[in-house]
Amino acid sequence: MSPPLLEVRDLRIRFFTEDGEVRAVEGVSFDLQEGEILGIVGESGCGKSMTALSIMGLVPEPGRVTGGEIRFKGRDLLSMAPDEVRDIRGKDIAMIFQDPLSSLNPVLKTGFQVAEPMLAHQRADKRRALARAVDLLRQVRVPAAEQRARDYPFQLSGGMRQRAMIAMGLANAPSMLIADEPTTALDVTVQAQILDLLRTLNRETRTAIVLITHNLAVVAGLCSRVIVMYAGQIVEEGSVFDLFERPQHPYTWLLLRSVPRLDRTRPERLRSIEGLPPDLIAPPPGCRFHPRCPFRIEPCFTEPPPLQEVGPGQRAACWVTMRRAHEEMGAATLLDVRPGAGSGVHGPIREPHRG
Amino acid sequence: MRWRGTLLYIGQRLLLIVFTVLAVSSIVFIGIHRLPGSVFVSERLRASQMQALLHQYGLDRPLWEQYRDFLLGLLHGDLGISYVNQGVRISPLVGREALVSAEVGALALLFTIGLGMLLGVLAAIRQNTWLDYLFTSTAVVGYSMPNFVVATFLLLVFAVFLQRATGGMLYYQIGWTGTFGSLGEISIPAFALGFPYASVVARLTRASMLEVIRQDYIRTARAKGLPEQLVIVRHALRNALIPVITILGPLVIGILTGSVVIENIFGIPGLGKEFVQSILNRDYNIVVGVFTMYAALVGIANLLVDLLYPLVDPRIRY
Ligand SMILES: Nc1ncnc2c1ncn2[C@@H]1O[C@H](COP(=O)(O)OP(=O)(O)O)[C@@H](O)[C@H]1O
Ligand SMILES: [Mg+2]
Repeated sequence: MSPPLLEVRDLRIRFFTEDGEVRAVEGVSFDLQEGEILGIVGESGCGKSMTALSIMGLVPEPGRVTGGEIRFKGRDLLSMAPDEVRDIRGKDIAMIFQDPLSSLNPVLKTGFQVAEPMLAHQRADKRRALARAVDLLRQVRVPAAEQRARDYPFQLSGGMRQRAMIAMGLANAPSMLIADEPTTALDVTVQAQILDLLRTLNRETRTAIVLITHNLAVVAGLCSRVIVMYAGQIVEEGSVFDLFERPQHPYTWLLLRSVPRLDRTRPERLRSIEGLPPDLIAPPPGCRFHPRCPFRIEPCFTEPPPLQEVGPGQRAACWVTMRRAHEEMGAATLLDVRPGAGSGVHGPIREPHRG
Repeated sequence: MRWRGTLLYIGQRLLLIVFTVLAVSSIVFIGIHRLPGSVFVSERLRASQMQALLHQYGLDRPLWEQYRDFLLGLLHGDLGISYVNQGVRISPLVGREALVSAEVGALALLFTIGLGMLLGVLAAIRQNTWLDYLFTSTAVVGYSMPNFVVATFLLLVFAVFLQRATGGMLYYQIGWTGTFGSLGEISIPAFALGFPYASVVARLTRASMLEVIRQDYIRTARAKGLPEQLVIVRHALRNALIPVITILGPLVIGILTGSVVIENIFGIPGLGKEFVQSILNRDYNIVVGVFTMYAALVGIANLLVDLLYPLVDPRIRY
């Protein structure tokens, strides 16, 4: 196998706030292969966006990458000079954002904004860049592209705006596109169209995509591999199929139970995960998920579990894993597990102090 | 298609200006004729001579008759003649003076916006550095200082301390009409006029800039790999301008009223100087003429400001 396009190793991001250091991302490692679509899922606030922004070198103040490596095509982005990173930004790695309306400049014409990455990297003069912007808009299926290019963002629909954002991202034919919640701000039918577009583009241009979302359904339809994040760490990683069929981390398992599935005949109760993600200034000791975990055992309270192999190509950071929970509690009991109830594989060892 | 709406809008606004000017001059006309005393009180005339003079100028007629004649004249752009400088026609006089005031005011506005925006932007992108603190405190001093203080101070510096270098720079000849070529003649008064407002603009620009650089589209601009200067100039500045433009209207009025003080301090023969003079002289027609010109200037300046909006913010259309 060829070396990965992107290697992230032990990434650490902290926010230096007046209340203390927010440990937003801690020890995240993953690879992205050329042409692959990788999903990153997790509740809001778990560090998905910051992970993505650190790849772009755009972690906002008062945040800083405090450790780790981000190797893109073998070169460490974190040790590069700012100008070198800027040269890669928008050319080799592009990023699109959640809310296409606020992410587009309200006072500049759409076509110009799509053309701008080409101008920024001296890929074309202005006239040719503008002409190519229209082609790009066509490529992302914007109808009447010539007219739309002359419109301002406020004159476009939400779906059109996100298509324009994607066109902008593709302007310099990057080898990697980061899409941070690209469909969250759109209504459902438009969501499906945008995801479809991303899939087609990935197939046609072989652009690798990092798709960030809190929506598992989005991941299921598009990605080959998924990373599940919780409180700034990766808790599980594997192929979409394995993760959906045999989730091993209780968080993944609970996450899957919180979305309705049409392919299941067995009745399941839909449950949301009780409790809130932890405070990242003083995260809980041991496993960061243990205060909300129904299967916790003694080590969970004190020892952070390492991310280890739980199946071929699948890794999870859990002392228990769902396999063991199944074996010891049986499928019938599991169905009634109330998240956060502390039913536990061996019963709760002791009540953690709450709140 | 796009321009038709704009032209229609301009037409409506011009009509509105005409009505405003008519209303203002009517109110002033009636008000000033109702004041006790008359133009000629200071001339210590016998009652019969006074009567003769009043009769000669038609001032002994009923007020409504005078008002009717005034309106008829105004509709033809004729504001009558001066009573004090006997026989001088007022329309060309105040027209010329309005041009002088407009020129000084425009330069003051340029100072206000240029200086204000520059300092505001620099303070914002260097937030919480000594540069920011310096500019911010200068701005506080700037707008807590009335323009006549600034003017007096500048006079002291340029006309007294630097007399050798400046020579007669601050001296305006009688009949000076403001030659568009000699910026030197008006730049110091214009600065005094604009400086307090520049401070207001600087503070507003700084705040608006700080707001804008936190926006998502600035992150997008950076994600494209644009150099930081382009991010600021192309993406941030134009958006930061939008709230600044909304205060231009009040600013223009402030500058025009401020010009009354400034023109008198520097002896600039504009509307402001004439304004004070004509009231002291009870030169009715000139007072009315000055007010008429001020009303027109304010109206036109505000129209120009409003026409700027859609140029800066495409979401606004007329
Ligand atoms: N400006 C900030 N100041 C302090 N902490 C921040 C800031 N931005 C983000 N964080 C921290 O980083 C964490 C991860 O944020 P983010 O990556 O945006 O989450 P996600 O994209 O998964 O919703 C947040 O939970 C928060 O604690
Ligand atoms: Mg996010």
